Amino acid sequence: MAIAPELLAQLAEKRRIALSAGGDDKLEARRAKGLMNARERLLALFDPNTFMEWGMHTDHDCHDFGMEKKSFPGDGVVTGVGYINGRPVAAFSQDFTVGGGAVGRIHAKKICDLMDYATKSGMPVLGINDSGGARIQEGDDSLSGYGQVFFRNVLLSGVVPQVSIIAGPCAGGAAYSPALTDFIIMTRNNAQMFICGPEVIKAATGEVVTMDQVGSAMVHASVSGNIHFIAEDETHALAIAKKLFSFLPSNNVMDPPHRPTPSMVLELDPGMNELVPADSKAPIDVQKVIARLVDDGDFLEVHKEWAKNIVVGFARIEGLVVGIISNQPMVKAGTLDIDSSDKGARFIRFCNVFNIPVVTLVDIPGFMPGAAQERGGIIRHGAKMLFAYASATVPKITIIMRKAYGGAYLAMCSSDMGADVVYAWPCAEIAVMGAEGAAKILFKREITAAADPKAKEKELAADYREKFASPYTAARKGMITDVIEPAQTRSIVALALRNTLSKREARPPKKHGNIPL
Amino acid sequence: MKKLRVTVEGKVYDVLVEVLDEGAPVVAARAPAPSAPPAAAPVYAAPAPMPVAAPRGPVGSGDIACPLSGKLVTIDVAIGQLVEPGAQVATIEAMKMNTYIFAHKAGTVSEILAAAGDGVEEGSVLIRLA
Repeated sequence: MAIAPELLAQLAEKRRIALSAGGDDKLEARRAKGLMNARERLLALFDPNTFMEWGMHTDHDCHDFGMEKKSFPGDGVVTGVGYINGRPVAAFSQDFTVGGGAVGRIHAKKICDLMDYATKSGMPVLGINDSGGARIQEGDDSLSGYGQVFFRNVLLSGVVPQVSIIAGPCAGGAAYSPALTDFIIMTRNNAQMFICGPEVIKAATGEVVTMDQVGSAMVHASVSGNIHFIAEDETHALAIAKKLFSFLPSNNVMDPPHRPTPSMVLELDPGMNELVPADSKAPIDVQKVIARLVDDGDFLEVHKEWAKNIVVGFARIEGLVVGIISNQPMVKAGTLDIDSSDKGARFIRFCNVFNIPVVTLVDIPGFMPGAAQERGGIIRHGAKMLFAYASATVPKITIIMRKAYGGAYLAMCSSDMGADVVYAWPCAEIAVMGAEGAAKILFKREITAAADPKAKEKELAADYREKFASPYTAARKGMITDVIEPAQTRSIVALALRNTLSKREARPPKKHGNIPL
Repeated sequence: MKKLRVTVEGKVYDVLVEVLDEGAPVVAARAPAPSAPPAAAPVYAAPAPMPVAAPRGPVGSGDIACPLSGKLVTIDVAIGQLVEPGAQVATIEAMKMNTYIFAHKAGTVSEILAAAGDGVEEGSVLIRLA
């Protein structure tokens, strides 16, 4: 008694057909170009022998335009579940060798089924995008398929982390599925993402642009801000995804993968003191501060190439996962402008929805002045920072390093915006505005009446600075938790993190707030 | 305008009548009247367009532009000097903070377009590399 051998032979043959995808010649041609195939990408992503493919024997069900005579193994997408460092992740990988990876009804159904399963099981979803777009032969079935994927992208948002890799074309409406996910990783070469490409732009408006200008990884990483990570190649893109998952919980009811150390190292770090320039006009490089603050200098920076006046990313401090948000005074004096507000606010909201404590490092002279900013809506965009911080209920730890001026200070998680603890360095300047500006307004009469207005202005500004441009006025009023030496920062933050982990903060029930967009 | 024939004491008069207060539409039974041309939309003055900012990144060229408006503190290179990518070439002060400007590529300084103390605009070219 045993299963009939021909059934096993038939299964083996069916598997062989599925695995040959668009044909061995096409698979080989891609390998020759140095590109991985759809299944190879998933096998490289998951821990060895853990990938379970779903719907290997699917095919399209289109009977128009001669499609009934063609076979599309897997219908142009490989889907399934596997493990990354021991934790389950659902993934799909579009197969360019099968009909150009175009999306048909079954293709979309496979992705939707996977997403539904990931929602119920509470596991992240990773999508590898490499598709020519809609399968024209299937017409509105294809369009409907996109719609069903978008709808699920939104349903899953804030429930499980969603990560997209763009490793080929991702054009038109198709770009909106990755855009709805939490993070996008794009390969530097061989990938394009756009709504209207150069040909359509030229036909519609006459404007002449190149693909590099509108659809390249470089432009999306540094100008549009559409993508979060730029990868040198597919292997690197997969490595970034794995690294990212190492900081993220599997779903919104779990804690992130904290690795609390059994004992904590609480030592002074004199190197941190040395980073602070004596001249208040000399900027501090916050990358160096972060490198000293986090475990092993291991910081996964998000949106590294875009809106560099704010730095955001993931790290661990004494084993606990944190999201770091910091002004970068080396770029645009560390001001908040339209792009940096968008970047910061989105990151804070991600951290909040996935229970990741936020550590905010403040050195901000204000919002970016300028007509372009005002006309571009800095009020609306800057408000996102206030909204994101005030609505976040995760632990919020704020370090005021140096400047903390005006509304921009509030937008960097002051105690008034609900920070749980706020520590200030002795060089912190917490004030409503800079000393020179304040003196000019407060003492306008005295200055104009003085024999030497310039000297008087300087003198009054110095008085103002002494009084307000320090952490002690704010400390006296109980607006900050304590003043600490920079060298204490890491140990204080590590301790504070431990005792805020059990934080619970209730808010009035509502559908959702109305963040300015 | 309506043409009427009126008979007064046996004498026939053909008269044209213009209906000034049009209570009922006179031509109601006719084929649908061509719809009136849409009233011209009120013309509002469009906001003056912003002057287009100078090309943003010095991508693919030897131009080094200001990342933000401010006061030029120093030019840290001289004409003819060879610079490496990442070398500091100028310092701007804005928002009470110095912003260092770095070369994005290697090259020889061929032109310096501003002097210490000048006010400089975001996007304006400071230094050209050949």
